[in-house]
Amino acid sequence: MLEMLTTPIAALLFPGGLFALAFGLALKGLDRRLAARLQGRVGPPLAQPLFDLVKLARKRTMVPDIAAEPVFLGAPLIGAVSMLLCAALVPIPGVYTPDTMLGDLLVLLYLLTLPAVVLMIAGSASGSPFGAIGFSREMALMLAYEGPLVLVVVAVAMRTGLGQGDLISFSLSEIIAYQQTHGAFLFDPVMWPALLAFLAFYPANLGIVPFDIPEAETEVLEGPLLEYSGPALGLFKVMSALKAVVVLGLGVALFYPLAPDGALGLLVHLAKLTGMMLIGITVVRLSCGRMRIDQAFSFFLKWPLALSLLSLAIVALA
Amino acid sequence: MSNFTIPVGPLHVALEEPMYFRLDVEGETVRHVDITAGHVHRGIEYLVTKRNVFQNIVLTERICSLCSNSHPQAYAMAIEQIAGLTVPPRAEYLRAIADEVKRVASHLFNVGILAHLVGFESLFMHVMEVREMMQDVKEGIFGNRMDIGANTIGGVRYDIDPERIGYLNEQLNKVEPAIAEIIEMYRTNGSILGRTRGVGVLSNAQAIDCGCVGPVARASGINYDVRVKAPYTAYDRLDVQVHTLPDGDVWSRAMVRLAEARTAVDLIRQCLRALPEGPTTATTERPPIPVGEAIGKCEAPRGELIYYVRMTDSPRPERVKWRVPSFMNWDALGFMLKDAKISDVAIIVNSIDPCISCTER
Repeated sequence: MLEMLTTPIAALLFPGGLFALAFGLALKGLDRRLAARLQGRVGPPLAQPLFDLVKLARKRTMVPDIAAEPVFLGAPLIGAVSMLLCAALVPIPGVYTPDTMLGDLLVLLYLLTLPAVVLMIAGSASGSPFGAIGFSREMALMLAYEGPLVLVVVAVAMRTGLGQGDLISFSLSEIIAYQQTHGAFLFDPVMWPALLAFLAFYPANLGIVPFDIPEAETEVLEGPLLEYSGPALGLFKVMSALKAVVVLGLGVALFYPLAPDGALGLLVHLAKLTGMMLIGITVVRLSCGRMRIDQAFSFFLKWPLALSLLSLAIVALA
Repeated sequence: MSNFTIPVGPLHVALEEPMYFRLDVEGETVRHVDITAGHVHRGIEYLVTKRNVFQNIVLTERICSLCSNSHPQAYAMAIEQIAGLTVPPRAEYLRAIADEVKRVASHLFNVGILAHLVGFESLFMHVMEVREMMQDVKEGIFGNRMDIGANTIGGVRYDIDPERIGYLNEQLNKVEPAIAEIIEMYRTNGSILGRTRGVGVLSNAQAIDCGCVGPVARASGINYDVRVKAPYTAYDRLDVQVHTLPDGDVWSRAMVRLAEARTAVDLIRQCLRALPEGPTTATTERPPIPVGEAIGKCEAPRGELIYYVRMTDSPRPERVKWRVPSFMNWDALGFMLKDAKISDVAIIVNSIDPCISCTER
């Protein structure tokens, strides 16, 4: 029955919209709490990201005199809406399959670049020099990680397509169905290089240490977000909470979509996302420092790119 | 590449104190730096001439919190010269202990902030936790966490009994392995090395030209330490190891500080072993201070600190002038920041451990 959900509900309530937002905020809260515990602190309450959001919503958005106001205020809105759509595009194995009318993996890939683009626009529209530096750093970082991501997705799509006698399949439901019958790509040695490349991609996409370079607090004072306040800043927080759910959900769909049907499947899905968040994000960001943009750029052009190319080659030959 | 002018400071999350850098950048590279100081002038040099010699011990301690032991110590040394007072041996050792306890805490603080600036928050928290042991020592022995009020004219204001010596030893035994562990981390951790090796290089010749002092000079290969070159208090009887490194980058400065923190622990132990019995002040009454002038200097955590005091027939000094280490290291920033990346500006500035409250009293 859940399969029958209409698109608006999918985008606004479940699995996108409110549900994804609540879960994204909970993930952020967990992340902060675990980070605090690992550093010997007590840490904020789990609902702290929600409290922050409520606080921001009640404040006023200040627009700098030199900012381009429509762009400055429009950017966070576009970012949050694009992520709402994205959340409706990511399947929850055994529970929710997005309507094929809405789009496939390629649409998701396009939408996934929007937050970075929006941050770049926001940074340059704010008129602050730190925003401008954030802009150039965001762009460099995006150029660095988008390539490997596309190659990873193509590798997964080819593996599925070739397995089905096709060449390539960009349908997420087919990718999931293929893995449910042939075993998850997580346990498929052919896909391991792609998996590693994806593990490097998602911290960069979510903007955490060591790849939080565009928003580095001690270097560029949060870069593009520097001039934002009130509900506009809140929208960016919404965007980043949703993005966490989308990117992690994409990872689950690409590499480990095995789950039972129904409510249990939903729980398993949430558990997987939480695991990816805590291990792939919290522990990573606590165990290293920030890279310089040139270091991050050459890192992505070296390892994840090579790994994803390698993976593509193996998939094509296997 | 586009050109920007970026203001760093006077209020900036990466800077603990107000200083202002105007960076002309090209892309991510700094092409020109203007450094402006003078945001926290408090008129302390004037105030010093309005208070008597003994009140000034308290006032000089409040110039800066991180070097709060070095200021009154250098000041007291200058006054003692004028008054011809001889500090009793026990007080000399106690002064050295106070100095080294502050040095450990100050160096760990700076090295911890480096980790914070690199974005390595766990390491920052860990270093601060180790520093907290030294803060406990200060609170336990001196009764205060920052301004420890150890010095007075002609001696020290505190004494330690066997119980406190036991506590101090116990804390040192905990701190020493923790510092060794931190040194190993800074020596091997990829994140730290990647951001600090070869960054903000100050060559030996440049360091000499700028007259750099303290860990900044020693990290550029200058073997200069007041504790060895012009020993004061008990340092002539202690085996002070001076650490130098040749490279002059941010990493070398951090490593010199860490090595000095470890040496400081060793020095406290030497002091405790050799601690003689006897009085802790030269006189029981407040000594008369005659007319005269003198210079006292000591090695503050940031480097050589010089006090000049001139007394006339008034109980208040006519002039007190101090030259702080950060003032000497300040100019070196021009060399270090040249062609640096924007990401490294805060790291480089922090690496001279700038003490603005000392410099702009």
